[in-house]
Amino acid sequence: MNPRWLLAALALLVGAPAHAQDKKDEKRPLRWGTDPTGGAPYVYKDKDGNFVGFEVELAEYFAKELKRESKMVSGDWDKLPELLGKPAGDDGIDIVLNGYELREDLEKKYPSTRPYYVYKLALIIHKDSADPITGWSDLNREKQKGVKRSVGVLGGSVAHEYLKGDDFGDKIDLKINPDVATVIGLVEQKRLDATVQDTPAALYYIKTGKDLKLADEPRKSGFYVILTRQNDNELRDQLNAAIKKGIKDGTFKAIYEKYGLWNEDQERLLYWTEQPWPPFAVKAEETGGDGSGQKSVNWNRLLNDLLKAAGMTVLLAVASFPLAMMVGMLVALGRVYGPWLVRFPLGVYVEVLRGTPLLLQLYCMFYIVPMLAANHLGVTLPNNPLWYGILGLAINYSAYEAENYRAGLLAIPRGQMEAALALGMNPLTALRVVIVPQAARIVIPPVTNDFIALFKDTSVCSVILITELTRKYNELYNFNRDLVVQLAFITAGLYLVMSYPLAIAARVMEKRLATAGGAQR
Amino acid sequence: MIRVTNIVKDHGPVRILNGASLEVAKGQVAALVGPSGSGKSTLLRCINGLEPFQEGSVEVGDALKLVGGAPHPRATLLQLRRTVGMVFQQFNLFPHMTVLKNVMAGPVYALGAPRDEAETHAKKWLDRVGLGEKHDAKPAQLSGGQQQRVAIARALAVNPSAILFDEPTSALDPKMSAEVMRVIDDLADDQQLQVAMVIVSHDLAAVKRIADVVHVLGGGKVAYSGPAQEAFAPGGPAAALE
Repeated sequence: MNPRWLLAALALLVGAPAHAQDKKDEKRPLRWGTDPTGGAPYVYKDKDGNFVGFEVELAEYFAKELKRESKMVSGDWDKLPELLGKPAGDDGIDIVLNGYELREDLEKKYPSTRPYYVYKLALIIHKDSADPITGWSDLNREKQKGVKRSVGVLGGSVAHEYLKGDDFGDKIDLKINPDVATVIGLVEQKRLDATVQDTPAALYYIKTGKDLKLADEPRKSGFYVILTRQNDNELRDQLNAAIKKGIKDGTFKAIYEKYGLWNEDQERLLYWTEQPWPPFAVKAEETGGDGSGQKSVNWNRLLNDLLKAAGMTVLLAVASFPLAMMVGMLVALGRVYGPWLVRFPLGVYVEVLRGTPLLLQLYCMFYIVPMLAANHLGVTLPNNPLWYGILGLAINYSAYEAENYRAGLLAIPRGQMEAALALGMNPLTALRVVIVPQAARIVIPPVTNDFIALFKDTSVCSVILITELTRKYNELYNFNRDLVVQLAFITAGLYLVMSYPLAIAARVMEKRLATAGGAQR
Repeated sequence: MIRVTNIVKDHGPVRILNGASLEVAKGQVAALVGPSGSGKSTLLRCINGLEPFQEGSVEVGDALKLVGGAPHPRATLLQLRRTVGMVFQQFNLFPHMTVLKNVMAGPVYALGAPRDEAETHAKKWLDRVGLGEKHDAKPAQLSGGQQQRVAIARALAVNPSAILFDEPTSALDPKMSAEVMRVIDDLADDQQLQVAMVIVSHDLAAVKRIADVVHVLGGGKVAYSGPAQEAFAPGGPAAALE
């Protein structure tokens, strides 16, 4: 065979698919990751339900420059970088474009482009607070003796990192939430003393929101950058070129002015398009274990943080479950022995609580009920999220417990009640000393099961600003992205260590009851 | 002592009792007999208010009266049940309590007696039914006959002036039945006790032996009331039941 033929054939085999890949890549939309719940002015929906925001316009600009189509992909804000780790197929993303600040720890895994915006941290308070925070240094001043200022931040943001640092740290009551609009809302309701946000969000909400103002000059400026996959050098170059062009020709300025975000800080952007990037040395950890001399992991601190959060998890579970049992028992008694007028509403209570998500219930109780109470009844409800967490879990689980107990009560032979009544006990005494103790024995296994389930459901309380184990894991993970696996294992281990003894206790109790003799009949 | 007057009891569309009347005197032992489904148990349950009834009345002593057609007043019910004890076919002991606690339950939880007093009293009754050794046993550890004897002690521990036995031996084998019947027999013979007893039972031999008076239930009414000997005599009103 002619060797030249062979070569040509080989070239076809090897080259043709590669070529096809390139072509396909060019046509592929530019998939940019964002968290639309983060809200205005980054990405939000206008009145017609279309996504708008300065980052939507930036993404469209980049896509146009790259001759690709812009395709928005949504995810949780603090997990967006991890989406880059997925293959860039239909479910992955090509870039993260969502107010991500330039951070050393992220840089080594997800190299950034040149900055597209210069932000600062802004301290936002309510306009007419009785005892206003006068500035950054005033944050550490206690409201009353032993009562720290509550400050809300977006979990995993630079604001979060700044506030948990040495300047503030334990001197403030830091409330972590994954949602900017929620935190802002709580400041508007005076349920948080302040929030620290990046200037774009801060300026937007002060302009559009009610009764908010800056307590001090914004400080700690930083860069918003686009995060990319490590080996996407070409894409990064293309984006950098587009950034430079957009800054030079005024495209960026026009977009920022449209959203009221333009300020003199942005003049510096052009300068940075020509400087070495990133502006700090990135340690070459990805190529091997050459991380010596770098910031070492403070495991003591991490474990301490996790254990403290585990304590909150225990507190939530241990405080809410007895309440759930008590309420559940009353509901069950009402449903089994009460007249129709009692049975019907209790049936509705159980079905509504079982039929709607716990997350939604907690959200309603913490965010909506106090707002309604304040606006319509003029009643100020307590503000501590812990109360809402305990009460919310207790109410939700009371529905499940009620059903457990109802099953237990119905399993007691009718003759037991009759025998008690025939002795001349009044019905309540009969329930207390004859029926309920027997029913309680029957329901020990399902009730223990529910307690273990509740233990893990405490993690839902993170949506109402309670830092329990899962929330803490998320928070630590944000600032220690190299330790994701270790932290996940430790967290799971802690849950197991806490719930396994319960499972054992339940088994022992069941055994004991089995030997104590079954029910009659 | 117990006076039942013209009780009418409907169970859904079915009329079970249709004007049943009977009287049981203090210290008297009365048996209630009749074919299956004639309403014997229902009549007993009407007497201590476990079943409401549509018409008629139940009087216990001079002061207590249940009237049909309306819910019974709670205070009257409680008082009446403390006066009239009941022993069930299925014993209905409280399985989570010891034998002693079962017998103490009435005095403590219904009468509000002090625990130590109730305990002494309960022990006395347990001795009386021959179970003085079983204080700490759980009901499930006893035979059926023993359980029914505990139930009898439990009913007597509230010092009732009447006691109703609802098929007390139907759930037991002949040997255990005899054991329970001996206890009832012994109570019936006790001249000091002065408790009126009403027994519903299929054990006609025992009934013949124990009962002073036999009431035969038929057609929702008490068709015959008279001495046991007469009732069970050949051709008598209860003879057909044998």
